Amino acid sequence: MIKRGLLTRTGLFLCFVLGAALVFMGQQGQSAFTESGFASESAYDSIYSLSADVAEAWNGALKPELDRLSAQEREGMDSIARTLASRLFDGAGEGTAEETWQMLYAGYLTGGPKVTSAARKAVTALKNGDAALLRQSLIRCMLNGEEPVPAQVEKLVGGASGEERQAALMQALFVSLGSAEGDAAEHVSQFKKSVRGKEQQETALRMIGGRKLSGIWRVIVSRSRTVMLIGVLLMLNAVLLALLMRSERRWAFDVKWLVILLIVDFLLVFQLLPVIYMTIKGMFPEGRLSLSAFRRLYSYPLNLEALKNTLIASVATMLLGTAIAFPLAWLVGRTDLYGRKFFRALFVMTYMVPPYVGAMAWLRLTNPNVGVVNQWLRALLHLGSEPGPLNVYTLPGLIWVLTTFYYPYAFITISRAMEKMDPSLEEASRISGAAPLKTVLTVTLPMVMPSLIAGALLVFVSAASCYGIPSIIGTPGNVNTVTTRIVEFVSLGQQGMNDATVLSVFLLAVALAILFLSDVVLARKQYITVSGKSVRPAVVELRRARVPLTALVSLFAVIVVLIPFATILTTSLKTDIGKGILAAGNFTLANWKTVFARGETLSCLKNSLIFASAAATVGMVIACVMSYLLQRTRIRGRSIPNFLITLGSGTPSVVIALGLIMTMRGGFGVNIYGTAYIMIIAYLIKYLMMGMRTVVSAMSQIHVSLEECSQVSGAGWLRTMRRVTVPLISPSIAAGWFLIFIPSFYELSMTTLLYSSTTKTIGFQLYETWTFTSQPMSCAMAFGILLIVMLLNLILNRLTKGEFSI
Amino acid sequence: MSTITIKNVTKAFGDKVVLQAFDAAFQDGEFVTLLGPSGCGKTTMLRMIAGFERPTSGEIYFDDQLVTGEKTFVPPEKRGIGMVFQSYAVWPHMNVYDNVAYPLSIQRIPKGDIGRRVERVLEITHLGQYARRFPNQLSGGQQQRVALARALVAEPRLLLLDEPLSNLDAKLRESMRFEIKEIQKNLGITVVYVTHDQTEAMAMSDRIFLINGGVIQQCGTPEEIYNAPVNQFVADFLGKVDFFKGEIRDGRIFFPAMGGQSIAYGGPKTGRADVAVRPENLCFSDDGELSGVLETHYYLGDTDDCRVRIGDTLVRVVADGFGHSARHPGQPVRLAVRSCMVFEDDGTLEEMLRIQT
Repeated sequence: MIKRGLLTRTGLFLCFVLGAALVFMGQQGQSAFTESGFASESAYDSIYSLSADVAEAWNGALKPELDRLSAQEREGMDSIARTLASRLFDGAGEGTAEETWQMLYAGYLTGGPKVTSAARKAVTALKNGDAALLRQSLIRCMLNGEEPVPAQVEKLVGGASGEERQAALMQALFVSLGSAEGDAAEHVSQFKKSVRGKEQQETALRMIGGRKLSGIWRVIVSRSRTVMLIGVLLMLNAVLLALLMRSERRWAFDVKWLVILLIVDFLLVFQLLPVIYMTIKGMFPEGRLSLSAFRRLYSYPLNLEALKNTLIASVATMLLGTAIAFPLAWLVGRTDLYGRKFFRALFVMTYMVPPYVGAMAWLRLTNPNVGVVNQWLRALLHLGSEPGPLNVYTLPGLIWVLTTFYYPYAFITISRAMEKMDPSLEEASRISGAAPLKTVLTVTLPMVMPSLIAGALLVFVSAASCYGIPSIIGTPGNVNTVTTRIVEFVSLGQQGMNDATVLSVFLLAVALAILFLSDVVLARKQYITVSGKSVRPAVVELRRARVPLTALVSLFAVIVVLIPFATILTTSLKTDIGKGILAAGNFTLANWKTVFARGETLSCLKNSLIFASAAATVGMVIACVMSYLLQRTRIRGRSIPNFLITLGSGTPSVVIALGLIMTMRGGFGVNIYGTAYIMIIAYLIKYLMMGMRTVVSAMSQIHVSLEECSQVSGAGWLRTMRRVTVPLISPSIAAGWFLIFIPSFYELSMTTLLYSSTTKTIGFQLYETWTFTSQPMSCAMAFGILLIVMLLNLILNRLTKGEFSI
Repeated sequence: MSTITIKNVTKAFGDKVVLQAFDAAFQDGEFVTLLGPSGCGKTTMLRMIAGFERPTSGEIYFDDQLVTGEKTFVPPEKRGIGMVFQSYAVWPHMNVYDNVAYPLSIQRIPKGDIGRRVERVLEITHLGQYARRFPNQLSGGQQQRVALARALVAEPRLLLLDEPLSNLDAKLRESMRFEIKEIQKNLGITVVYVTHDQTEAMAMSDRIFLINGGVIQQCGTPEEIYNAPVNQFVADFLGKVDFFKGEIRDGRIFFPAMGGQSIAYGGPKTGRADVAVRPENLCFSDDGELSGVLETHYYLGDTDDCRVRIGDTLVRVVADGFGHSARHPGQPVRLAVRSCMVFEDDGTLEEMLRIQT
């Protein structure tokens, strides 16, 4: 035992030392790079590959040729090489013969005398054997000034004599090696791009000649930041492991820790590092603690306005949304309302509609000039042709759209709590003499209060960090919010970036405070009730109110769900959006045809599908591993990734994206800016929790005894997993996959900041089309997205036998 | 205080009929138990009395007042009933006092009166010292008593109990049984009690309604039901019983499967019969009519659970635990039958014993 403990401790120590060594090496590489004066670390890569090409040509073709010469001739050639090399720069010919040759060759490859393409062609067209012959005659020419120049290179040499002639012949010799073609040509052009200026070139040639660039060193220098990052992670992991083992009082390594560390490292790099870096940038804009940036930013009226708007809109959305959600949840969950199952499905479905689609619909409906509702109202109330009476481009307009979008968050949370609540609690109140309404107020409401608060806070945070809706409604109406300001600032250069950072810090602080608060509320007052045999949820008879209340709920559903979707559909089928769809010649399928025939739309769609699938798949692998660790093991440290994942989902999208932009450009050894990876990672961080929660709760419902029984029956761990656990949780794995896939599929806020020309997604394409091209076309796209999402939901429903759908 | 009359009540959920033509009258101050296997419809009946379910057809009267009928329906809060739920349904967000005071505060009774009445009912249920505690600080038995106190505090005309003891452990269950019975006797209220536990039913009830498959099989005092079951199901459900195929002729019952041995019979039935014998009604006796061999026996302390082979049949005998050491497997024994129940054998025994859900 003691020995093993000692071994583990030594291992940890070595791991730490290795990390420190990597950091040290990275630093060395970094300073070597600084000294070299190259413009970018990638210079080392091109020097290295060029050096490899040169070595290959030297060993493969040139050296055998020279070795065949007599000692005297060889010396002659070497001296020609020295002379020519010293023309490159002082001291180039001072090394050994081999060094000099290689330096010379590299020098000619990257910047020697020009060779006309005709001459080059003539030489490179030669077969292997002929090339060797040519080389021999070239060498003879160089050694003996009287030898006639071979026909192939006559043009190349021209009438030059003396050193010029030698230089031209040497050039021809090198060309005949043929190593400036294909890959090698690519290496040469990379070299020319990354190594500029006389001095840098000299350094580079010296490195090639002296073979000073070993493979490892080149990696260390060109990836010095990555090496340092890995070193820091190794050190952190060693320390973390040591702490975990210490608290466990058992110095033994557990493989599960490896898994935990992998996940933690991933999240550290891609989630924590960006957010922390961003926060620090916001607090220390000039390298020291200074609130000047905050002061500057918040004294700017437009920003103050944005802050005020965000707070007002979020609070109002929270209050309104919860006020709608609770009665709805009660009516749908606890009464004999007609069609309650249908309504439930309908309200929950809003959850999977992209927010900007709702915004587009409401914009079409209540645009002050051409909004359909406004046209009706004007006709109905004889208001004349003044704009109005409703105007979506206002703060109340924003609040309304946000509410129709985020009340389902509260609805789902409250409904879930009501489903879990023992109906006997309400029956006990009824039998004690309380009428239904009294029961709602004295029993139901207090019982679901923790969930109600949590739901309300979720609505608040979602509304505050929403970008899709304010970008479509707020921006044209000059109702700025923090998120729209952030996105706007990002495109405004360095100062803009600083301002965006400061605003993001504010948004992050609000979101995290709320996350913490809702955790406290839920943890402190989670009622656990002993439940008897499952009775069907008590149905309160609405009696006389049944029909009117059903009508009211239907009206709400029509306003919030049906009309917006119908508007999107009809708009997509119109030629002139100002006229009704049935007006003569106004009905058209052209928008659909144009949009979905366009290659760009399809490639965006493909991108979205790929990114979302990748995020969902990686996410579910992590989710399954985490569920197992959380539910089936008591390994220490299993809650660390859980905490980080929760934190990630609570971080506003724009903040995640901004952090990634600031840190993933190579400054910390990872450069994925503008690639698909950065988007997949952003989606993963934001939506991983949704998938994980589904699997965790499914696993918590499978009693361990089911697995233990399988093991007692003789099945090993793997077989138990495969035959018992996985089949039981597979519906929730599918559900979790879709829960990550769907929001990633239509994501806009993060995409707006992270996309590049090759990684545009359908959500962003839709936004662009809406803003710059055509509203009907973007409506066609929006409805297309809706159809896809609904189809996915249907598949999910089938796949999980109706157990899950969104 | 109240009589309950149930007239021809039928309840169906969709196509599934869970109660069929239920007719019953519960007397004032009576302790009535609805007993039956789970799924027999007893809880549904209770919930219809409470007003949580409406019957498909039929009527329910409290005294002379129609509370549930074709056109009339009094909601639960207007029925003046106390009820204890299987899950106790004690509100976790209120302390014991507030839980118990709730029915009174609904009635807008003055604060002082509420205090006095709550205190009294807490005394009765031995909860006086727990008034300020919250339910999560109470044990299961204490929560159960809170539920009872809450049901009793408004002095209801009728108390409904839905398997109130099923979530308690065995010892507590036994003591609560007597506490509930004691309280009922002292307050003189009508109680309808639902359970699937026959011992509970026997111990507490004035009358038992034994239900199976939505149909009342028999109603009567515990003694009547135990000693004079009307059919094989009732005999089987209440207590332990073994069935033997027999044939009655010449004032004796012959058992073909016991090698043709027979016992005396003084009843009126003749021909083929199902004879039900309770193991405790068989005893070892040297002048017993049946002879066989003791095959095994298990010492249970108060009793000795024996199996005796008679011909091809294994007969169970519950004998006094005291004589255990005097008996040995393989020893020849004689058995006397103190009493038995004889049912006509119409070939439906299997069918009758099946629990219908």
